[in-house]
Amino acid sequence: MAELLIRGGYVFDPLNGIEGEKIDISIRDGKIVEKVSRKARVLDVSGMTVMPGGVDIHSHIAGSKANCARMMRPEDHWRDPEPKTKYTRSGVGHTIPSVFTTGYRYARMGYTTVFEPATPPLKTRHTHEELNDIPIIDKGCFPLLGNNWFVMEYVKQGRIDELAAYVAWMLEATKGYAIKIVNPGGIEAWRWGRNLRHLDDKVPNFDVTPREIVRALCQVNKILNLPHAVHIHPNGLSEPGNYQTTLDTMDCVHDIQRESGQTMHVTHAQFTGRKGWSWADVRSGAPEIADYVNTHDHVSIDPGQLVFTNVTWMTADGPAMFALFKFSKTKWFNADVESETGAGVVSATYKKSNYVNAIQWGIALELALLVKDPWKIYLTTDHPNGGPFTAYPRVISWLVSREARQRVIDKINKTARRRLDLPGIDREYSLHEIATITRAATAKSLGLGCKGQLGAGADADIAIYSIEPRKIDPAKDYKAVRKAFASAAFTVKDGRIVVKNGEVVRSVQGRTFWTKPEVSEGIMKTVTSDLERKFDDYYTVRMANYPIEERYLTSSQAITTRGDV
Amino acid sequence: MRNMPRTTLQNVLCTFCASGCDNLEITYDGRIVDSARNGCAISVSRFTTADESRILKPLVRREGKLRPTTFTRAIDRAARILINAKYPLLYGWSQTSCEAISKGIELAELVGGIVDNTTTSCHGPTILGVQDAGEATCTLGEVRHSADLVIYWACNPVHSHPRHMNRYTIFSEGRFRKTRKDRKLIVVDVRKTDTAKLADRFIQIQPNGDYELLTALRTAINGEEIEQDFVAEVPVETIEEIADMMMECEFGALFFGLGLTMTMGKHRNTEAALALVRDLNYVTKFVVVPMRGWFNVTGANEVSTWQTGYPYAVDLTQGYPRFNPGDTSAIDALARGEVDTALVVASDPVSHFPRAAVKNLLEIPIVTVEPKRTPTSDASEVVMPSAIIGVEAAGTIYRIDGVALEAKKVIEPPLGVRTDEEILDAIIKRVKKMGARR
Amino acid sequence: MTDLVFTPTRQFRIPVTAECISPDFVAGKSLREIELTQVWEGNRRIKLGSLFKVQGEIGRTLDDCTVKITGNVSAVRRIGFEMTGGSIQIDGDAGMYLGERMQGGSITVTGNAGSWLATQMRNGQIEVQGDAGDAIGGSARGGTKGMRGGTITIHGNCGTETGAWMQSGTIRIKGNCDLYAGIHMKNGTIMIERNCAGRVGAQMTGGKIIVLGNVGGVLPSFQFEEIRAKAKVGDEKIPGPFYFFSGDVNEEGKGQVLARVTDNSDLKWNERLIER
Repeated sequence: MAELLIRGGYVFDPLNGIEGEKIDISIRDGKIVEKVSRKARVLDVSGMTVMPGGVDIHSHIAGSKANCARMMRPEDHWRDPEPKTKYTRSGVGHTIPSVFTTGYRYARMGYTTVFEPATPPLKTRHTHEELNDIPIIDKGCFPLLGNNWFVMEYVKQGRIDELAAYVAWMLEATKGYAIKIVNPGGIEAWRWGRNLRHLDDKVPNFDVTPREIVRALCQVNKILNLPHAVHIHPNGLSEPGNYQTTLDTMDCVHDIQRESGQTMHVTHAQFTGRKGWSWADVRSGAPEIADYVNTHDHVSIDPGQLVFTNVTWMTADGPAMFALFKFSKTKWFNADVESETGAGVVSATYKKSNYVNAIQWGIALELALLVKDPWKIYLTTDHPNGGPFTAYPRVISWLVSREARQRVIDKINKTARRRLDLPGIDREYSLHEIATITRAATAKSLGLGCKGQLGAGADADIAIYSIEPRKIDPAKDYKAVRKAFASAAFTVKDGRIVVKNGEVVRSVQGRTFWTKPEVSEGIMKTVTSDLERKFDDYYTVRMANYPIEERYLTSSQAITTRGDV
Repeated sequence: MRNMPRTTLQNVLCTFCASGCDNLEITYDGRIVDSARNGCAISVSRFTTADESRILKPLVRREGKLRPTTFTRAIDRAARILINAKYPLLYGWSQTSCEAISKGIELAELVGGIVDNTTTSCHGPTILGVQDAGEATCTLGEVRHSADLVIYWACNPVHSHPRHMNRYTIFSEGRFRKTRKDRKLIVVDVRKTDTAKLADRFIQIQPNGDYELLTALRTAINGEEIEQDFVAEVPVETIEEIADMMMECEFGALFFGLGLTMTMGKHRNTEAALALVRDLNYVTKFVVVPMRGWFNVTGANEVSTWQTGYPYAVDLTQGYPRFNPGDTSAIDALARGEVDTALVVASDPVSHFPRAAVKNLLEIPIVTVEPKRTPTSDASEVVMPSAIIGVEAAGTIYRIDGVALEAKKVIEPPLGVRTDEEILDAIIKRVKKMGARR
Repeated sequence: MTDLVFTPTRQFRIPVTAECISPDFVAGKSLREIELTQVWEGNRRIKLGSLFKVQGEIGRTLDDCTVKITGNVSAVRRIGFEMTGGSIQIDGDAGMYLGERMQGGSITVTGNAGSWLATQMRNGQIEVQGDAGDAIGGSARGGTKGMRGGTITIHGNCGTETGAWMQSGTIRIKGNCDLYAGIHMKNGTIMIERNCAGRVGAQMTGGKIIVLGNVGGVLPSFQFEEIRAKAKVGDEKIPGPFYFFSGDVNEEGKGQVLARVTDNSDLKWNERLIER
């Protein structure tokens, strides 16, 4: 294959300790190599910033709930069409873009890997169909296990080894990447129109608690040596005072250590980072959460940054969505999934003048600015819940520039402004730290050694931005920073140039990453016979038809791990 | 194919209605299916009559008659017809695989046409209702496990979805509802159907009175007084009793069919049903699941939505997706005489569309991709014989409730007959080679 | 007033989308520029000049601009799209989406108008001598914002969902009206001089609908309030008496439906509720 030399750029490669040095990047056969021959094509990027391609750890881009949202919200689409071009298929955008548009828009921002963070196992065939169709980016998905009947029964029985084998079976059956928990036990309670609020509430008819479910799955994660932490959306989403549940959730597994990496990743912590007793006095719980993250190594978080625009809420957390719908009175979609989980979708608009929205916005930024270690906090908007992923450049501008965020602070609800710590926070992210939270740290957290870095052997996924780090001061030139990250000068995927000056010039097929934990035959036999006994009782599809074959993935990339069971 | 051993295939998915029964056991001998167990009578005939009325060779019209030709020539003619079209319609899709539908959308974008599926004449109104009122739904297993109240409104599953009640509702066994006694059935219909005969309460409604009755139920559930004595010929006392049953259940499930979507009010009827279920969720747990007909109409909506943003009636003539049923929908565009060419895949609009649309359809060149001879194929310029999904060709389909399943290939198609996916792919390649205008 | 006249060169069957046939677009342009403007005919790009003979004078300024169309343009969509001033006069039948998102100026049609007339209109005047289709003054698909200003007058009959999600403004229908007039209405006034097919004001939360003919029954989510002597449309007083209903209670609505007593004898039973 072709050789490519990316010459003269200022490289930010946090995983290899490179901070803005002028280094040439050599590529052959889709991988980064030490050097290339003189016949290599040269891409001159003098005066530009070079980073590994963006790695998004949490973005709702594919699957049943995303598609139900698209179907329910034609009004989201008509204002933002994408006409077809010589290289691209047509589509629609805004908060829930169609699949082709999703891939192109990520690539235009220099992103090359994105994970769908919540897929209901029974409907994951659908998720993969959509992921297959998303062009350019590499991807994966996290199957939802926190309300699963088999999981809860094994937890109740204390059979952790069998639970581990079941999770191994599920990851292979769903071609999933990591364990996802959403509102553990709460979605099962939603079967009866109820919810769970605290870690020690009992799941109706199953006699287990969220604490037990979370602990058991974190133990399983360790036993199976899975590449990522347990990815969790805690109980109590959007309720005032839920920051305590978040703290309790993080703390309930502080004694479980993985060999490398965090035990638990708490996602979109802004939605579960609220202090206060009611909507009228919601406050920021960010200082407490950040403090916990700063003093404990077993957790990481992402904020789920809010952006003041029209959004679509979509999550597996069915009961939370209904609660929010009752507030917003817009449109509500709900889809429970038998024996496993659920989903909810609501349309909403965030306004600067709205007290609660302003507090939410502040909580997210406070989390990002108060967590000291950029290896523990990742840039997300929980697309499309906090805002569309196309808002990342704007969020970056708020992180690198106090002035940029002050302009927004000046316009938000006055009471919120008074009650947030944010106006007093001076910290400004450097470009190096931005590279960390948008690619290096996320790749590391996901256990994807081939991503998020530019060392020899890594995948040649590279983003080149039109900012000259030695000439600009991001804090003052935040508009230039925002513009540069919105429209990459070049995006390279597997060694091929796919974006030039923010336009897609080539479409390629990305890979779907999934995890295949290996466990002993004996334990797997026990579990499969449990499944065979119960499957027809629990599901309305046959066990033989449930697993997704590898050939289903257009381009499959399995990551094998060896489980200790 | 004589002397082939008899083989039995387990866990086969039936591809007739959208119930998604995937526990069929098919025994076959070469190309002949001997038996199809565990399915309903319709599923048996789907497999055992696969060979009837088959189109066996590609056909093109020459001198007024359809004559056999080669695959290549037929593809060539089809491509030419589509490239020359200024307002082509690509229609059908509900009886083929998602993989084929994906090709269909690609082709529609390539030639600049409208891509619409049978939703447009059955549950399109349901989707339009969802676009205004949202939807509180679930996968069918949830109903089986939990529903103590089941309502069939304007549908007759005994005939349309014969195994629906055994698999998912009143005759099924769930974790929390073990027997028939654990559930109540209400049927609302204009006449006492076979399904109504099984009901604990049957409500006979005035034809075209669904919107009024649904509104009255909402009024009762929202705690307001109904001032009329009768609504849609149903006494208000009865309406209030039914409202109480709905509010007092632990988990209610409403199923509705074409009697709602295709009667006066259409998408407003479905919106009212969806709003009713939404209002009930303030009081108890309630879900709604539409009774989709064809086995992959849901799949057609899903693929169309994730690829274009819209579930049906997608206009790609101007290079980007646009959606407005009534304008961009097949029947309306045909009835107004706007469509100048049609590609029909796994459907028979000549038989099913209203007269005004059929009249215009018969005046334009039609390319049909279809396993069996139909009035539409008889009226076509080009006919491509195709394999039957779930019998002779594998592919992904979506059950009523959005669960994706894989239809298997059980037997070989007749010699030389290809899959919809292969045929559409060949047309796409030919169109690209000929240089589609844009 | 300077007139620019468009005359179709042939019958259109395949839909033409011509947003440029609008005073805002033509004002200040030359005839040649206008003729060379590309529009869509089905999936083909074509010069406006191939579809229409374009003659006459073009106003320099917007308000000085009158666009006249003589002939059947029922297949031409989006005439007057987002116009802010000037006037359009169609002597013939007009197509779908006429005056969509209009913000000012006026449109008159001697024949019929298609569906989705003036959806999301903000201001301006529209008058159609013949019939109009469905969803007059309505919202975008899945949206909740219908017309919010201006006046639409239809001399003939109209289709379903007139004034859907209306936020303000006035719609007058001189003929009959199909189902669901004022569905999801929030504010504004609709007056229908002849008969309605039914389900008037369904799911409305505010606004006023006055029906002089038979209203087609009243939904069970409406409550009879009283008999009123008159109804008002702007400053105009319409003599009654009227049965006055409020609703839609299922949307916690404070909308008003007034049905003239003389033509609604089937609603007489409501009078017994007066004593309650």
